[in-house]
Amino acid sequence: MADYAHPDVLVSTQWVADHLDDSALRLVESNEDILLYHTGHIPNAVKIDWINDLQDQVVRDYVGHKRFAALCSDKGIANDTTVVFYGDRNNWWACYAFWVFKLYGHERCLIMDGGRKKWIEEERPMTKTVPSFPATEYVAQPQDPSIRAFRDEVMAHQQAGKPLVDVRSPAEFRGELLHMPDYPQEGSLRGGHIPGARNIPWSHAANDDATFKSREDLEVLYLQENNLDPNTATIAYCRIGERSSHTWFVLTYLLGFDNVKNYDGSWTEWGNLVGVPIERGDG
Amino acid sequence: MSTLAAIAEELQRVDDETRLELLLDYAQQLPPLPEAYHPLRDRGLNMVHECQSPVFLMVEVEHGLVRLHADVPAEAPTARGFTALLVMAFDGATPDAVLEAPDDILHRLGLIHLLGMQRTRGLNAIYQRIKNEVRRQRQAG
Repeated sequence: MADYAHPDVLVSTQWVADHLDDSALRLVESNEDILLYHTGHIPNAVKIDWINDLQDQVVRDYVGHKRFAALCSDKGIANDTTVVFYGDRNNWWACYAFWVFKLYGHERCLIMDGGRKKWIEEERPMTKTVPSFPATEYVAQPQDPSIRAFRDEVMAHQQAGKPLVDVRSPAEFRGELLHMPDYPQEGSLRGGHIPGARNIPWSHAANDDATFKSREDLEVLYLQENNLDPNTATIAYCRIGERSSHTWFVLTYLLGFDNVKNYDGSWTEWGNLVGVPIERGDG
Repeated sequence: MSTLAAIAEELQRVDDETRLELLLDYAQQLPPLPEAYHPLRDRGLNMVHECQSPVFLMVEVEHGLVRLHADVPAEAPTARGFTALLVMAFDGATPDAVLEAPDDILHRLGLIHLLGMQRTRGLNAIYQRIKNEVRRQRQAG
Protein backbone atom coordinates (compact mmCIF):
# COMPACT_ATOMS: atom_id res chain seq x y z
CA MET A 1 0.00 0.00 0.00
CA ALA A 2 1.49 3.32 -1.09
CA ASP A 3 2.25 6.03 1.45
CA TYR A 4 0.92 9.52 1.18
CA ALA A 5 3.38 12.04 -0.32
CA HIS A 6 3.84 13.66 3.11
CA PRO A 7 2.64 10.94 5.48
CA ASP A 8 3.91 12.64 8.64
CA VAL A 9 1.34 15.41 8.36
CA LEU A 10 -1.50 13.04 9.28
CA VAL A 11 -1.62 11.54 12.73
CA SER A 12 -4.02 8.94 14.09
CA THR A 13 -6.35 9.24 17.05
CA GLN A 14 -4.13 6.72 18.85
CA TRP A 15 -1.06 8.89 18.25
CA VAL A 16 -2.88 11.90 19.72
CA ALA A 17 -4.01 9.81 22.70
CA ASP A 18 -0.39 8.79 23.28
CA HIS A 19 0.79 12.42 23.14
CA LEU A 20 -1.88 14.15 25.25
CA ASP A 21 0.72 15.19 27.82
CA ASP A 22 3.34 16.30 25.31
CA SER A 23 4.09 19.96 26.05
CA ALA A 24 5.59 20.50 22.61
CA LEU A 25 2.11 19.92 21.14
CA ARG A 26 -0.96 22.10 20.98
CA LEU A 27 -4.28 20.51 20.04
CA VAL A 28 -6.56 22.90 18.18
CA GLU A 29 -10.23 22.14 17.62
CA SER A 30 -11.87 23.99 14.74
CA ASN A 31 -15.54 23.37 13.95
CA GLU A 32 -18.38 24.65 11.82
CA ASP A 33 -20.58 24.75 14.94
CA ILE A 34 -19.42 27.42 17.35
CA LEU A 35 -20.87 25.63 20.40
CA LEU A 36 -19.55 22.15 19.70
CA TYR A 37 -16.24 22.58 21.52
CA HIS A 38 -18.18 23.56 24.64
CA THR A 39 -20.15 20.33 24.67
CA GLY A 40 -16.86 18.48 25.09
CA HIS A 41 -13.42 18.34 23.46
CA ILE A 42 -10.15 16.43 23.64
CA PRO A 43 -8.36 17.20 26.94
CA ASN A 44 -6.09 20.27 26.64
CA ALA A 45 -7.41 21.21 23.19
CA VAL A 46 -8.00 24.90 22.56
CA LYS A 47 -10.72 26.25 20.30
CA ILE A 48 -9.94 28.36 17.27
CA ASP A 49 -13.05 29.66 15.55
CA TRP A 50 -12.74 30.31 11.84
CA ILE A 51 -14.99 33.36 12.00
CA ASN A 52 -14.11 35.03 15.27
CA ASP A 53 -10.40 34.18 15.47
CA LEU A 54 -9.16 33.91 11.90
CA GLN A 55 -11.19 36.40 9.91
CA ASP A 56 -10.96 40.17 9.89
CA GLN A 57 -14.33 41.56 10.94
CA VAL A 58 -14.21 44.65 8.75
CA VAL A 59 -12.37 43.72 5.56
CA ARG A 60 -12.99 40.40 3.84
CA ASP A 61 -9.59 38.89 4.61
CA TYR A 62 -7.76 36.95 7.29
CA VAL A 63 -6.75 38.65 10.52
CA GLY A 64 -3.30 39.93 9.48
CA HIS A 65 -0.04 38.56 10.76
CA LYS A 66 0.16 40.67 13.91
CA ARG A 67 -3.26 39.60 15.14
CA PHE A 68 -2.44 36.06 14.13
CA ALA A 69 0.69 36.25 16.32
CA ALA A 70 -1.42 37.55 19.20
CA LEU A 71 -3.87 34.66 18.74
CA CYS A 72 -1.04 32.12 18.86
CA SER A 73 0.47 33.77 21.91
CA ASP A 74 -2.87 33.69 23.66
CA LYS A 75 -3.34 29.99 22.91
CA GLY A 76 0.15 29.15 24.18
CA ILE A 77 1.45 28.38 20.70
CA ALA A 78 5.12 29.17 20.09
CA ASN A 79 6.87 29.22 16.74
CA ASP A 80 8.24 25.74 17.34
CA THR A 81 5.02 24.25 18.73
CA THR A 82 3.55 21.34 16.82
CA VAL A 83 -0.08 22.24 16.25
CA VAL A 84 -2.48 19.33 15.72
CA PHE A 85 -5.78 20.35 14.10
CA TYR A 86 -9.02 18.40 14.26
CA GLY A 87 -12.74 19.18 14.08
CA ASP A 88 -16.22 18.29 12.90
CA ARG A 89 -17.45 17.77 9.33
CA ASN A 90 -14.70 15.43 8.17
CA ASN A 91 -12.06 17.93 9.30
CA TRP A 92 -13.23 20.63 6.82
CA TRP A 93 -12.64 23.41 9.28
CA ALA A 94 -9.52 21.80 10.69
CA CYS A 95 -8.06 21.92 7.15
CA TYR A 96 -9.13 25.55 6.82
CA ALA A 97 -7.38 26.47 10.09
CA PHE A 98 -4.33 24.44 8.99
CA TRP A 99 -4.25 26.40 5.73
CA VAL A 100 -4.44 29.76 7.58
CA PHE A 101 -1.60 28.70 9.88
CA LYS A 102 0.45 27.82 6.78
CA LEU A 103 -0.48 31.18 5.29
CA TYR A 104 1.31 32.86 8.21
CA GLY A 105 4.27 30.52 8.08
CA HIS A 106 3.69 28.18 11.00
CA GLU A 107 6.07 25.33 10.41
CA ARG A 108 4.75 22.32 12.32
CA CYS A 109 1.11 21.60 11.50
CA LEU A 110 -0.60 18.23 11.66
CA ILE A 111 -4.12 16.93 11.12
CA MET A 112 -5.72 14.24 13.29
CA ASP A 113 -7.22 11.83 10.77
CA GLY A 114 -10.93 11.20 11.41
CA GLY A 115 -11.42 14.35 13.48
CA ARG A 116 -13.94 14.66 16.28
CA LYS A 117 -16.13 11.94 14.88
CA LYS A 118 -13.52 9.20 15.06
CA TRP A 119 -12.28 10.26 18.52
CA ILE A 120 -15.83 10.11 19.87
CA GLU A 121 -16.69 6.84 18.12
CA GLU A 122 -13.63 5.28 19.68
CA GLU A 123 -14.97 6.45 23.07
CA ARG A 124 -11.79 8.32 23.90
CA PRO A 125 -11.70 10.86 26.74
CA MET A 126 -13.50 14.17 26.36
CA THR A 127 -13.64 17.11 28.74
CA LYS A 128 -15.47 20.41 29.07
CA THR A 129 -12.55 22.04 30.87
CA VAL A 130 -11.16 24.93 28.87
CA PRO A 131 -7.37 24.89 29.31
CA SER A 132 -5.23 27.96 29.70
CA PHE A 133 -1.58 28.21 28.74
CA PRO A 134 1.07 30.80 29.49
CA ALA A 135 1.39 33.39 26.73
CA THR A 136 4.21 32.83 24.27
CA GLU A 137 6.32 35.10 22.11
CA TYR A 138 5.15 34.44 18.58
CA VAL A 139 6.56 35.93 15.41
CA ALA A 140 4.25 35.64 12.42
CA GLN A 141 5.32 36.13 8.83
CA PRO A 142 3.27 38.18 6.36
CA GLN A 143 1.00 35.96 4.27
CA ASP A 144 2.63 33.36 2.02
CA PRO A 145 1.19 33.97 -1.45
CA SER A 146 2.19 30.56 -2.77
CA ILE A 147 -0.92 28.86 -1.37
CA ARG A 148 -3.51 31.59 -1.87
CA ALA A 149 -5.08 32.65 -5.17
CA PHE A 150 -6.75 35.99 -5.74
CA ARG A 151 -9.31 36.97 -8.32
CA ASP A 152 -6.99 38.28 -11.06
CA GLU A 153 -4.73 35.27 -10.90
CA VAL A 154 -7.77 32.98 -11.13
CA MET A 155 -8.96 34.89 -14.19
CA ALA A 156 -5.58 34.52 -15.90
CA HIS A 157 -5.38 30.86 -14.88
CA GLN A 158 -8.83 30.23 -16.35
CA GLN A 159 -8.04 32.06 -19.57
CA ALA A 160 -4.88 30.00 -19.99
CA GLY A 161 -6.93 26.82 -19.69
CA LYS A 162 -5.12 25.72 -16.54
CA PRO A 163 -6.78 23.30 -14.10
CA LEU A 164 -9.42 24.53 -11.68
CA VAL A 165 -11.13 22.25 -9.19
CA ASP A 166 -14.63 23.17 -8.04
CA VAL A 167 -15.24 21.11 -4.90
CA ARG A 168 -18.92 21.98 -4.36
CA SER A 169 -21.86 19.66 -4.86
CA PRO A 170 -22.87 18.88 -8.46
CA ALA A 171 -26.07 20.95 -8.08
CA GLU A 172 -24.10 24.02 -6.98
CA PHE A 173 -21.58 23.42 -9.79
CA ARG A 174 -24.34 23.21 -12.39
CA GLY A 175 -25.93 26.43 -11.14
CA GLU A 176 -29.24 24.86 -10.23
CA LEU A 177 -31.44 26.55 -7.69
CA LEU A 178 -31.24 24.56 -4.48
CA HIS A 179 -34.14 26.03 -2.62
CA MET A 180 -37.88 26.43 -2.84
CA PRO A 181 -38.79 29.80 -4.37
CA ASP A 182 -39.69 31.62 -1.17
CA TYR A 183 -36.57 30.63 0.78
CA PRO A 184 -33.29 32.54 0.88
CA GLN A 185 -30.71 32.12 -1.88
CA GLU A 186 -27.16 30.89 -1.53
CA GLY A 187 -25.64 34.36 -1.37
CA SER A 188 -24.44 34.78 -4.95
CA LEU A 189 -26.26 36.68 -7.65
CA ARG A 190 -25.37 34.09 -10.28
CA GLY A 191 -25.10 30.29 -10.15
CA GLY A 192 -22.75 28.02 -12.08
CA HIS A 193 -18.99 27.51 -12.13
CA ILE A 194 -15.78 29.00 -13.49
CA PRO A 195 -15.56 27.82 -17.12
CA GLY A 196 -13.32 24.80 -17.53
CA ALA A 197 -13.39 23.85 -13.85
CA ARG A 198 -13.66 20.18 -12.96
CA ASN A 199 -16.27 19.25 -10.37
CA ILE A 200 -14.74 17.03 -7.71
CA PRO A 201 -16.85 17.35 -4.54
CA TRP A 202 -14.55 17.64 -1.56
CA SER A 203 -16.27 14.82 0.33
CA HIS A 204 -15.17 12.25 -2.23
CA ALA A 205 -11.72 12.49 -0.64
CA ALA A 206 -13.01 11.23 2.70
CA ASN A 207 -14.23 7.88 4.00
CA ASP A 208 -17.45 7.48 5.99
CA ASP A 209 -15.49 7.56 9.25
CA ALA A 210 -14.15 11.02 8.27
CA THR A 211 -10.63 9.74 7.57
CA PHE A 212 -8.93 10.55 4.28
CA LYS A 213 -9.09 7.92 1.55
CA SER A 214 -6.01 5.90 0.64
CA ARG A 215 -3.37 7.15 -1.77
CA GLU A 216 -4.59 4.70 -4.40
CA ASP A 217 -8.20 5.81 -4.11
CA LEU A 218 -7.22 9.48 -4.22
CA GLU A 219 -5.07 8.93 -7.31
CA VAL A 220 -7.95 7.24 -9.08
CA LEU A 221 -10.24 10.13 -8.20
CA TYR A 222 -7.98 13.08 -8.97
CA LEU A 223 -5.41 11.79 -11.46
CA GLN A 224 -7.22 9.15 -13.46
CA GLU A 225 -10.88 10.17 -13.38
CA ASN A 226 -10.19 13.89 -13.53
CA ASN A 227 -6.86 14.17 -15.32
CA LEU A 228 -5.16 16.36 -12.77
CA ASP A 229 -1.38 16.48 -12.85
CA PRO A 230 0.80 16.85 -9.74
CA ASN A 231 3.29 18.98 -11.68
CA THR A 232 0.78 21.51 -13.03
CA ALA A 233 -0.33 24.60 -11.12
CA THR A 234 -3.85 23.91 -9.83
CA ILE A 235 -6.40 26.16 -8.10
CA ALA A 236 -9.23 24.84 -5.90
CA TYR A 237 -12.35 26.76 -4.86
CA CYS A 238 -15.80 26.26 -3.33
CA ARG A 239 -18.09 28.93 -1.86
CA ILE A 240 -15.89 30.66 0.73
CA GLY A 241 -12.71 28.60 0.53
CA GLU A 242 -13.35 26.26 3.43
CA ARG A 243 -14.17 23.06 1.55
CA SER A 244 -11.46 23.83 -0.98
CA SER A 245 -8.85 24.01 1.78
CA HIS A 246 -9.68 20.35 2.49
CA THR A 247 -8.95 19.56 -1.17
CA TRP A 248 -5.84 21.77 -1.11
CA PHE A 249 -4.61 19.66 1.81
CA VAL A 250 -5.35 16.40 -0.01
CA LEU A 251 -3.63 17.44 -3.24
CA THR A 252 -0.59 19.00 -1.56
CA TYR A 253 0.15 16.67 1.34
CA LEU A 254 -1.40 13.38 0.38
CA LEU A 255 -0.82 13.38 -3.39
CA GLY A 256 2.31 15.55 -3.47
CA PHE A 257 1.15 18.21 -5.92
CA ASP A 258 3.83 20.89 -5.96
CA ASN A 259 1.70 23.96 -6.73
CA VAL A 260 -1.86 24.12 -5.39
CA LYS A 261 -3.58 27.33 -4.35
CA ASN A 262 -6.80 27.88 -2.49
CA TYR A 263 -9.03 30.56 -4.03
CA ASP A 264 -10.75 31.72 -0.86
CA GLY A 265 -12.87 34.35 -2.62
CA SER A 266 -14.45 31.32 -4.26
CA TRP A 267 -18.03 31.41 -5.53
CA THR A 268 -19.19 34.14 -3.14
CA GLU A 269 -16.75 36.39 -5.00
CA TRP A 270 -16.88 35.00 -8.56
CA GLY A 271 -20.68 34.58 -8.56
CA ASN A 272 -21.09 38.25 -7.62
CA LEU A 273 -18.39 39.78 -9.83
CA VAL A 274 -19.54 41.93 -12.71
CA GLY A 275 -18.62 40.59 -16.14
CA VAL A 276 -16.65 37.44 -15.30
CA PRO A 277 -17.29 34.33 -17.43
CA ILE A 278 -19.63 31.72 -15.95
CA GLU A 279 -20.60 28.30 -17.21
CA ARG A 280 -23.67 26.29 -16.25
CA GLY A 281 -24.49 22.60 -16.50
CA ASP A 282 -22.09 19.74 -16.30
CA GLY A 283 -19.18 21.46 -18.08
CA MET B 1 -43.75 41.40 27.34
CA SER B 2 -43.75 38.48 24.91
CA THR B 3 -41.64 35.42 25.58
CA LEU B 4 -39.45 36.28 22.60
CA ALA B 5 -38.87 39.80 23.88
CA ALA B 6 -37.93 38.44 27.30
CA ILE B 7 -35.47 35.98 25.78
CA ALA B 8 -33.96 38.72 23.61
CA GLU B 9 -33.62 41.05 26.56
CA GLU B 10 -31.75 38.45 28.58
CA LEU B 11 -29.36 37.68 25.73
CA GLN B 12 -28.70 41.36 24.99
CA ARG B 13 -27.86 42.05 28.62
CA VAL B 14 -24.95 39.60 28.93
CA ASP B 15 -21.48 39.33 27.38
CA ASP B 16 -20.57 37.13 24.40
CA GLU B 17 -19.28 34.22 26.46
CA THR B 18 -22.44 34.09 28.56
CA ARG B 19 -24.55 34.39 25.44
CA LEU B 20 -22.97 31.21 24.09
CA GLU B 21 -23.51 29.49 27.44
CA LEU B 22 -27.19 30.46 27.38
CA LEU B 23 -27.55 29.13 23.85
CA LEU B 24 -26.00 25.87 24.99
CA ASP B 25 -28.46 25.77 27.91
CA TYR B 26 -31.30 26.13 25.46
CA ALA B 27 -29.86 23.30 23.39
CA GLN B 28 -30.02 21.08 26.45
CA GLN B 29 -33.64 22.08 27.09
CA LEU B 30 -35.11 21.11 23.73
CA PRO B 31 -38.05 18.84 24.62
CA PRO B 32 -37.69 15.31 23.25
CA LEU B 33 -39.62 14.71 20.04
CA PRO B 34 -42.88 12.81 20.75
CA GLU B 35 -42.91 9.24 19.41
CA ALA B 36 -45.72 10.05 16.98
CA TYR B 37 -43.36 12.24 14.95
CA HIS B 38 -40.44 9.81 14.81
CA PRO B 39 -41.52 8.13 11.54
CA LEU B 40 -41.66 11.50 9.76
CA ARG B 41 -38.26 12.49 11.07
CA ASP B 42 -36.73 9.13 10.20
CA ARG B 43 -38.03 9.41 6.65
CA GLY B 44 -36.36 12.80 6.31
CA LEU B 45 -39.62 14.73 5.96
CA ASN B 46 -40.19 18.23 7.35
CA MET B 47 -36.47 18.97 7.36
CA VAL B 48 -35.17 22.53 7.06
CA HIS B 49 -32.82 21.94 4.15
CA GLU B 50 -31.21 25.37 4.07
CA CYS B 51 -29.63 24.65 7.42
CA GLN B 52 -26.31 22.80 7.33
CA SER B 53 -27.40 20.58 10.21
CA PRO B 54 -30.34 18.17 10.08
CA VAL B 55 -33.24 20.10 11.62
CA PHE B 56 -36.63 18.37 11.84
CA LEU B 57 -39.44 20.89 12.37
CA MET B 58 -43.21 20.32 12.51
CA VAL B 59 -45.39 23.45 12.60
CA GLU B 60 -49.08 22.99 13.31
CA VAL B 61 -51.97 25.23 14.32
CA GLU B 62 -54.31 23.45 16.75
CA HIS B 63 -57.31 25.09 18.41
CA GLY B 64 -56.05 28.45 17.22
CA LEU B 65 -52.57 28.09 18.73
CA VAL B 66 -49.20 27.35 17.13
CA ARG B 67 -47.67 24.01 18.11
CA LEU B 68 -44.02 23.31 17.36
CA HIS B 69 -42.22 19.98 17.47
CA ALA B 70 -38.54 19.79 16.60
CA ASP B 71 -35.57 17.49 16.68
CA VAL B 72 -31.94 18.48 16.14
CA PRO B 73 -28.99 16.19 16.94
CA ALA B 74 -26.75 16.96 19.91
CA GLU B 75 -23.78 17.27 17.51
CA ALA B 76 -25.37 20.46 16.14
CA PRO B 77 -25.65 22.45 19.36
CA THR B 78 -25.99 25.87 17.72
CA ALA B 79 -28.94 24.86 15.52
CA ARG B 80 -30.36 22.87 18.44
CA GLY B 81 -30.05 25.82 20.82
CA PHE B 82 -31.63 28.28 18.42
CA THR B 83 -34.45 25.84 17.59
CA ALA B 84 -35.11 25.26 21.29
CA LEU B 85 -35.23 29.00 21.82
CA LEU B 86 -37.82 29.34 19.03
CA VAL B 87 -39.90 26.51 20.50
CA MET B 88 -39.82 28.23 23.87
CA ALA B 89 -40.82 31.53 22.30
CA PHE B 90 -43.56 30.33 19.97
CA ASP B 91 -45.01 26.98 21.07
CA GLY B 92 -48.50 27.83 22.30
CA ALA B 93 -48.45 31.33 20.84
CA THR B 94 -51.15 32.75 18.59
CA PRO B 95 -50.53 32.78 14.83
CA ASP B 96 -50.59 36.59 14.96
CA ALA B 97 -47.82 36.66 17.54
CA VAL B 98 -45.66 34.51 15.29
CA LEU B 99 -46.36 36.51 12.15
CA GLU B 100 -45.80 39.83 13.87
CA ALA B 101 -42.48 38.80 15.38
CA PRO B 102 -39.54 40.74 13.88
CA ASP B 103 -37.65 39.28 10.92
CA ASP B 104 -34.27 40.43 12.24
CA ILE B 105 -34.54 38.03 15.18
CA LEU B 106 -30.88 36.97 15.17
CA HIS B 107 -29.81 40.58 15.27
CA ARG B 108 -32.15 41.19 18.21
CA LEU B 109 -30.77 38.17 20.04
CA GLY B 110 -27.26 39.62 19.69
CA LEU B 111 -26.05 36.53 17.84
CA ILE B 112 -25.04 37.78 14.40
CA HIS B 113 -21.50 38.93 15.21
CA LEU B 114 -20.89 35.74 17.17
CA LEU B 115 -22.07 33.39 14.49
CA GLY B 116 -21.16 35.15 11.25
CA MET B 117 -23.20 35.46 8.07
CA GLN B 118 -22.95 31.86 6.91
CA ARG B 119 -24.25 30.37 10.14
CA THR B 120 -27.01 32.93 10.57
CA ARG B 121 -28.36 32.27 7.10
CA GLY B 122 -29.04 28.65 8.00
CA LEU B 123 -30.57 29.57 11.33
CA ASN B 124 -32.77 32.19 9.71
CA ALA B 125 -34.17 29.47 7.48
CA ILE B 126 -35.51 27.68 10.58
CA TYR B 127 -37.22 30.83 11.75
CA GLN B 128 -38.66 31.65 8.33
CA ARG B 129 -39.97 28.09 8.02
CA ILE B 130 -42.06 28.63 11.16
CA LYS B 131 -43.46 31.89 9.87
CA ASN B 132 -44.15 30.57 6.38
CA GLU B 133 -45.89 27.47 7.69
CA VAL B 134 -48.07 29.46 10.08
CA ARG B 135 -49.01 31.84 7.28
CA ARG B 136 -49.75 28.96 4.90
CA GLN B 137 -51.88 27.07 7.40
CA ARG B 138 -53.82 30.14 8.32
CA GLN B 139 -54.64 30.82 4.68
CA ALA B 140 -55.65 27.19 4.16
CA GLY B 141 -57.76 26.92 7.33
